Amino acid sequence: MSTDAGREALVRPFQRTTKRYYGLLALVLLAIGVFAAGYTQQLQHGLIVTGLGDWGSGGGVPWGLYIGAFIWWVGIAHGGIILSAAVRLIGLDTYQPVARIAELLTIAALSVAGLYIIVHVGRPDRIVTSIIPAWPTRVHWSPLVWDVTVITLYFVLTATYLSLTIRYDVHRLRDRMPDIFDPVYDLMLIGYTEKEDEIVERMVWWVALAIIILAPLLLHGGVIPWLFALLPSMAGWAGGVQGPSFLMIALTSAISGVIIAAAIFRRVYGWQELIGDEVFRGLAKWLGFFGLLFLWLQLQQVVTGIFAAPVSLTHATEAKLAKPLYQALIAMVVAAEAYIFASALKPKLFTIPRLVGASLLVLAATLTEKVLFVVEGLQHAHFSLYDGVAGTYVPSLIELSSLLGTTAIVVLYFMIFAKLIPVVELHAVEDEHDADGEEVSA
Amino acid sequence: MSQIPLLGPGTYLIFGIILAPVYGMLLAWYFGDPIDKPRWRLGVGALVGITTALWGGMYVFTVLIGVIFF
Repeated sequence: MSTDAGREALVRPFQRTTKRYYGLLALVLLAIGVFAAGYTQQLQHGLIVTGLGDWGSGGGVPWGLYIGAFIWWVGIAHGGIILSAAVRLIGLDTYQPVARIAELLTIAALSVAGLYIIVHVGRPDRIVTSIIPAWPTRVHWSPLVWDVTVITLYFVLTATYLSLTIRYDVHRLRDRMPDIFDPVYDLMLIGYTEKEDEIVERMVWWVALAIIILAPLLLHGGVIPWLFALLPSMAGWAGGVQGPSFLMIALTSAISGVIIAAAIFRRVYGWQELIGDEVFRGLAKWLGFFGLLFLWLQLQQVVTGIFAAPVSLTHATEAKLAKPLYQALIAMVVAAEAYIFASALKPKLFTIPRLVGASLLVLAATLTEKVLFVVEGLQHAHFSLYDGVAGTYVPSLIELSSLLGTTAIVVLYFMIFAKLIPVVELHAVEDEHDADGEEVSA
Repeated sequence: MSQIPLLGPGTYLIFGIILAPVYGMLLAWYFGDPIDKPRWRLGVGALVGITTALWGGMYVFTVLIGVIFF
């Protein structure tokens, strides 16, 4: 594809808005409306409508689907930007066409993860009134405050990364972008000169380095699992294995998310040349690799949890293993792995819709794992602490509607991004063109 | 009730370890070749501006909740 053809493809989303787009927009708004109606009920009557309001209505589970889904979305967010940073840092150029989609997935997923915290604290103003005054003293002691700090840090770094990289593209494509957003583009391009490109590229490299150290090793493999692993009364949450385990679940989920988003964009905008098959074949291998590590870390937890383990841990692990949902989620990841392995052996088996199917299976499995991790961890505390607490935890319709709503919000983010900025970096087209040139001259 | 000491594990975890890559990034922006102070200000402005927009926005939201509902 020549650079001109590539540019034409890049700006395609700005040039046409189909009836399907408006139809999807209506569906997305409807789904958000359903969630908003449920959330309004919760605001009016309190968290008790979800059964999460106290210890007495859900078998000792005040953290349920909300917190499980929060970790799930944060995981998707973490892995998304790691992919993009890896493209920039170690030259994984094959994935450059999906790098910005991964960045946007990070912004969208992190936003809804933050929303889950707002929803779960009950009164939304508590986010400010409880956290801001307490931050200067509590950041030295509270893993919850560490969590708020790193989520903020992560969002800011990702948004900075995007705001710096987008300048190059917006400046060069502006004449083909919608005039209605001119004030936004003016803001994005404050002080821009073409002389800055080299300097900004160097700055972005350092942001990518900071992100690739922070996101996997210190955030999703650090502060987020510490939120659980540092609570001494929950046997199922303890141990250093939680960091790597959280991280692998995050990376597996994120690769799945990027595959799905990229496949949708490719299909909707006819980007078969822009996001080629080789991108998806590569992502499938990464999904297979991280999925394997996910299963390996589950095996670590199970073996060390049932063989001559402390009594509470044995109990928590046995309860987890006996749970049909846990067995089902492991089977789902194994099925996705089997497909990826089979398609590596027999390339004819590989199709993008099948890979999307495998990715959806993985996302369902990782969400289930995260919710079970939270719920089971609470239910099987040391000394059977909550055995006398009445009831069992079942996610309420309001909580379930939050899944629908947050997924719709992420889709809405992408629908807006598609109309506002190029969702594939201009570099991806230019590099391809340069490579073509080299081949010709060779 | 005894007072919690000011400094704790979060002091070195957050300010010593977690933020270390960010310190490195800021130093590299400032001292790396070619040195370009307007771009350094642009980067730092983005970090500060986005943080302010995020928490400032939530603060405004909180004030609005207070005015409308309480």
